[in-house]
Amino acid sequence: MNDETFLNEQVEVIAIFGHGHEPCRLLRFKRANGREVEVKELGLRHPFNSGNKTLHIFDVTDGGADYRLEFDSERLIWHLTMEADHYE
Amino acid sequence: MNDFAAFNYERPLIMHIDLNSCFATVEQQARPMLRGKPVAIVNRRTDTTAIVTASYEAKVLGVKVGMKLRDAKILCPDIIGLESDPPKYRYVYHRLLDIMKDYSAHVTMKSIDEGIIDFHDSPTAISGRDLEDIGREIKQRLKDEIGVWMRCNVGIATNRFLAKTAAGLHKPDGLDVITPANIREVLATMKLTDLTGIAGRNEKRLNSVGIFTPLEFLDADPVTLQKVVFKSVVGMWWYKRLRGWEVDDVSTEIKRVGRQYVLESFSLSHDEIVQRLHHLCESVGSRMRSQNKSARGIYVYAKTLERGYWHSSSLSQLPFCSDQTIFVLAKQLFENAPTGLKEIGIHCYELESIENDQMSFFNDQIVRERQVTDAIDGINKRFGERTIHAANTLETGIYVKQKIPFGSTRYL
Repeated sequence: MNDETFLNEQVEVIAIFGHGHEPCRLLRFKRANGREVEVKELGLRHPFNSGNKTLHIFDVTDGGADYRLEFDSERLIWHLTMEADHYE
Repeated sequence: MNDFAAFNYERPLIMHIDLNSCFATVEQQARPMLRGKPVAIVNRRTDTTAIVTASYEAKVLGVKVGMKLRDAKILCPDIIGLESDPPKYRYVYHRLLDIMKDYSAHVTMKSIDEGIIDFHDSPTAISGRDLEDIGREIKQRLKDEIGVWMRCNVGIATNRFLAKTAAGLHKPDGLDVITPANIREVLATMKLTDLTGIAGRNEKRLNSVGIFTPLEFLDADPVTLQKVVFKSVVGMWWYKRLRGWEVDDVSTEIKRVGRQYVLESFSLSHDEIVQRLHHLCESVGSRMRSQNKSARGIYVYAKTLERGYWHSSSLSQLPFCSDQTIFVLAKQLFENAPTGLKEIGIHCYELESIENDQMSFFNDQIVRERQVTDAIDGINKRFGERTIHAANTLETGIYVKQKIPFGSTRYL
């Protein structure tokens, strides 16, 4: 059964903003406990509008777990909001 | 001999695109660790919830849409149940729509996961190309622009019905064309119920005159279909449809706006159920106003645990669209509802455009209500859904969540 953990953890992210179909490429992020996670693949990026405010939601994986990161385009901060690492 | 006895021999210019297992595929795209695993999308993660979409890996093991998650776990103990994530699917829908609109101005989305491109009026630079090439290009663009796990079925034919049929021939990543040259061959591989629009009742009607296969359906004469089988013009529509003539290019008008909710617990008190009904009323009011509509009719229903169905409705002289009025009317009707409920629902009908409302003697009250409603809608639009709502529904938001409506794309 799926094992998701929902979080609201502010994280530091290294990302490259460019152009093309993947205008924001995430490289790695650092969690509150200091652990660094290397992003192996961006699954999907989609915007989420909450009124006039837009959050950009990035579903990524490090090859062992899936993570959901949210970028607040107004406050320019990142939050880790979901981790799913056990599917067996 | 009628004008439509022959097949339609024009060049096939209708393309149907279908993202099969859409929600599950999108989740597998978003979350790479789910790829290759049986996934079921549900609206609420409880064992009694019904599966909205299953991934191909789950379908292979016998999991079907509509099946309870509990039953799916018996067939497939490793199945991963995920709660649906509408913003994600809405995003993919809009990306698919953008891609389709690059090829024609005449794009119709039939639901969140399927749409039609009509190439009849496309520029020659596009319609002059081989449509199969365009189909392959769209498949590749889905992978490039959304993600590598995205797949779609493409069907090409002279009308919408056959294009959809073609799209269903080789799931999950097919590309097929139906023409007069191969239609008999295609229909020979299908059952009657494989045809979109032929389910239990229509199948029985056809069986009653000795039609048991799509080929027999194709060979049936139009008089039998019209006078005996369908007893209406629908028979002639089927006759034309199967021969590639277009009969489904019709726009539908919004007739009613509604929502239903399966209660999260079957032991809720009457007041708690009314709170959830209030939440549905707010949701219906918001949807109705987003379409610039007001209603005069309201219909409330409930399903009981003993498979009973209760309903009540009323028609007002004056149109209404505020959440408050909808709730007051619905609550009055709901006072007679039975106990032991499993599901509740509400529809507003007799819709009319808000601008066309006739002024009434009670003008002041209506204008005031409209102004308050507009102000609330404005705040909710600016600061997010349900920033302002009734105090009565403060605690219902975690249960009665906004889900993706199948069929209509009006609210996407």
